[in-house]
Amino acid sequence: MQSAAPISFDRAAERKAVQDERRRSSLIDLGVTLATIVAALLLGFIVIWLLGKNPIQAYEALLTGPLTRMGRAGRWLEVATNLILVGLSVAIPFRARQFSLGAQGQMVVGAIMGALVAIYLPLPPVIGVLVPVAVAMASSFLLGLLPGLMKAYLNANEIVSTLMLNAIVLRLYDFVLTYFLKPAGSSTTRSLPVQPTARLATFSDIFPGLDLGRFNLGVIFVVLSIVGVWLLLERMPFGYAIRTIGANENFARYGGINTKRTIALSFAAGGAVAALAGMHLLMGVHNRLFLDIVGNIGWDGITVALLARNNPLLVPISGLFYAYLLVGGDRVEQQVQVGSELVQVIQAVIILMITAQVLGDWIRARRAHGRRIADSG
Amino acid sequence: MNGGRARLGNCDHRCCEMNQPPVVEMRDIVKEYPNGVRANERVSFEVRPQEIHALVGENGAGKSTLMKILYGMERPTAGQIFVRGQPVTINTPHEAIALGIGMVHQNFMLVPSFTIAENVVLGNEPLRGGFLDYKAAVEVTRNLSERYGLVVDPEATVDAVPVGTRQRVEILKALYRGADVLILDEPTAVLTPQETTELFAAIRQLVGSGKTVIFISHKLREVKEISDRVSVMRNARMVNTVNTAEVDEEQIARMMVGREVFLKVDKPPMQSGRPVLQVRDLEYVSEAGVETLKRVSLNVCAGEILGIAGVEGNGQTELVEVITGLRPATAGRVILDGLDITRFSPRQVRQAGVAHIPEDRLTNGVALSASIAENLIVDRYEQPPFTRRGLMQPDEVARNAEALIEQYAIRAPDGTLPVGALSGGNMQKVVVARELSSRPKLLIAAQPTRGVDIGASEFMYEQLLQARSAGVAILLVSADLNEVMSLSDRIAVMKDGRLTAMFSDVSSLTEEEIGYYMLGVKHMPAEVIAANW
Repeated sequence: MQSAAPISFDRAAERKAVQDERRRSSLIDLGVTLATIVAALLLGFIVIWLLGKNPIQAYEALLTGPLTRMGRAGRWLEVATNLILVGLSVAIPFRARQFSLGAQGQMVVGAIMGALVAIYLPLPPVIGVLVPVAVAMASSFLLGLLPGLMKAYLNANEIVSTLMLNAIVLRLYDFVLTYFLKPAGSSTTRSLPVQPTARLATFSDIFPGLDLGRFNLGVIFVVLSIVGVWLLLERMPFGYAIRTIGANENFARYGGINTKRTIALSFAAGGAVAALAGMHLLMGVHNRLFLDIVGNIGWDGITVALLARNNPLLVPISGLFYAYLLVGGDRVEQQVQVGSELVQVIQAVIILMITAQVLGDWIRARRAHGRRIADSG
Repeated sequence: MNGGRARLGNCDHRCCEMNQPPVVEMRDIVKEYPNGVRANERVSFEVRPQEIHALVGENGAGKSTLMKILYGMERPTAGQIFVRGQPVTINTPHEAIALGIGMVHQNFMLVPSFTIAENVVLGNEPLRGGFLDYKAAVEVTRNLSERYGLVVDPEATVDAVPVGTRQRVEILKALYRGADVLILDEPTAVLTPQETTELFAAIRQLVGSGKTVIFISHKLREVKEISDRVSVMRNARMVNTVNTAEVDEEQIARMMVGREVFLKVDKPPMQSGRPVLQVRDLEYVSEAGVETLKRVSLNVCAGEILGIAGVEGNGQTELVEVITGLRPATAGRVILDGLDITRFSPRQVRQAGVAHIPEDRLTNGVALSASIAENLIVDRYEQPPFTRRGLMQPDEVARNAEALIEQYAIRAPDGTLPVGALSGGNMQKVVVARELSSRPKLLIAAQPTRGVDIGASEFMYEQLLQARSAGVAILLVSADLNEVMSLSDRIAVMKDGRLTAMFSDVSSLTEEEIGYYMLGVKHMPAEVIAANW
């Protein structure tokens, strides 16, 4: 039964087989992701058709909209900047299998804490940007740390705690904005503008004649974050700990990794990156705070991270893609009167299918795990 | 034989009464898992109508797997199943239930907020006008409960009743679905002695009214008390099936722990040195308040193997996890080479020089989705050369993997392969390679050969003996008596969280002698144990 191992074990051949297998499986991965997107688009097509609208016209607007004018392309890149930053932010706890949904609140806290500095403290150029950003990142780091500590040391479910914290923080934001930051006598609920030195110049400012809307130097945050999050997850010992916990928390603990500290810090590190998205909105896009400044970005960012399978090098691609859909959706709304619901349908289908995929992986992993337990049972 | 059985199945009733076929027969069942572990090796098993048939064996002997196959939760790799003489394939629990086979698991599968009646009928509810007929459900539950002596209040919610009652609900659920053959998976593990007595009364009544019960256990006293026949499994094989009346507990124990040919281990004489590990009066009380370690004291010296024998679940797991920092000691001290490591974190314990081959190494000794290379550095990834100036060095990580793959003959093309793609034996080698390459002072090996084939076992023995020759102190915890006896220089026995024996001279020891201590028939006085630390 236990036949003797082959005398010569052809390592080179085996290595080639493994590489082929790996290539095949990454191709399958890519195929599945593309199929998900196509299926979602197809479903949207059917929905529009059922609504009695012209699906071809709608899709033309959706798929070419963002590129029909420079300003729209600028809008696309501006939205992508936000989504990529949030996508990178949530990818960190996700890699440790911590389902932190706190990005929305972390952005808001970062924006408001940064705004206090950026609006009221005149600072020289460059420093005028760096100091508010540092304050924002530190604040969101702490806000992220809270549910992280609760999960790690009290075993509080992170989905619940981050959602609750979001609700609290968003209301606090409204409160502070309405009663403290709104200048007396102003009719709209919004803050004063940030100091001129705290502004991130738009590319339209830098290159007069080039109309890229509000697409701005915040893109530097994106570049730095991609490199930073990649280094963190793939090249730093902390990232090794995160990934190992994500792969098997018991194993990580057995191996000597301080799992509690790592889990708590993974939430916090995500918070720090989410703050950058808030600061991009504050200093680059709007230059002031107003109610509901973050919109849906915290949630869309999660979709972006899932689409990229939490790989920091793929997040920019999925962020660009998703932003394209959102901006295209606005065009559809204007041209075909389908309403932004179309994009939401497509978005929902993508999330559903990805979740189903992730669930599938998860179930397979659980099954394999269960089988191994059965071995010893 | 096959043909004969087919004829039997087709013949009329009178003929069957004369030569009553077994209600369940499993023939030559083989179960091999994708990772190469064989949980059942040509197992044959036969249950007669209206008997209480005990299925015993140590953890990992394959009894749960065999029953999961019968209940349709696992598919056999080979072999046949007959129910009432008819060949059947059972792919799902639904199909098992349709054949009249029900199973009560160790972990109950009930809806806590539903009433007992609702739980009993769940999935097959009596309906009236498309809605649950609650009155009928209560009625049905009460009838079943009275008929089989399983006392429950049908209208109580499940989360309000004690464990013993929940178990009765599970049994009622199976009966409601028409189970004739009930598989009870270690039913007494969760029960108090009183509840156990009630359960046994209920089992007898069930059998009296025509049911058949398969009773999985490793508590021999209970097996002796309740069963008509007993089948013993060991190491994935069926050892024997005997009439319970004809054997005593010791004989069953001997079948369980085995008298296979002693493993041939070439053991050089011991070069024992200083005491490396000193455990003194170690106590552990679990979060649930159970005292699982009671004043355990022992020494392990450099270059010796101290074997800890014992039936699993007598505190061995806790002992290992307290020493390695995975659980906090409640009282007592653990000293490694003069350093008190009692309150150390797992990492500090490792850095003090302790390596640990865990008992559940295929689940917690590796991260399946991570690469071999990453698995090999979990205890040292932050140290040079793997991390320099705050950054990890992928080249060093890969080089380390290549060297260990070569040295330990791990069958993998390179270190980038996920560990989950390896066979069980090779996963084990990854664990051993990592733990031994940390150059430990103390190596703790828990159940080192459980679930692996002969070749992998031999590899493990070689490695342990090499480490011993190199002066490593080794604490070997194993439920396999052969293994403990052939490897150890000294042997301690654990029973109910205590050391009940400590033998300094293994040469004259017999398995029976150790078995008496394992099963609690004999105890050594504390002074004798202390004298042999």
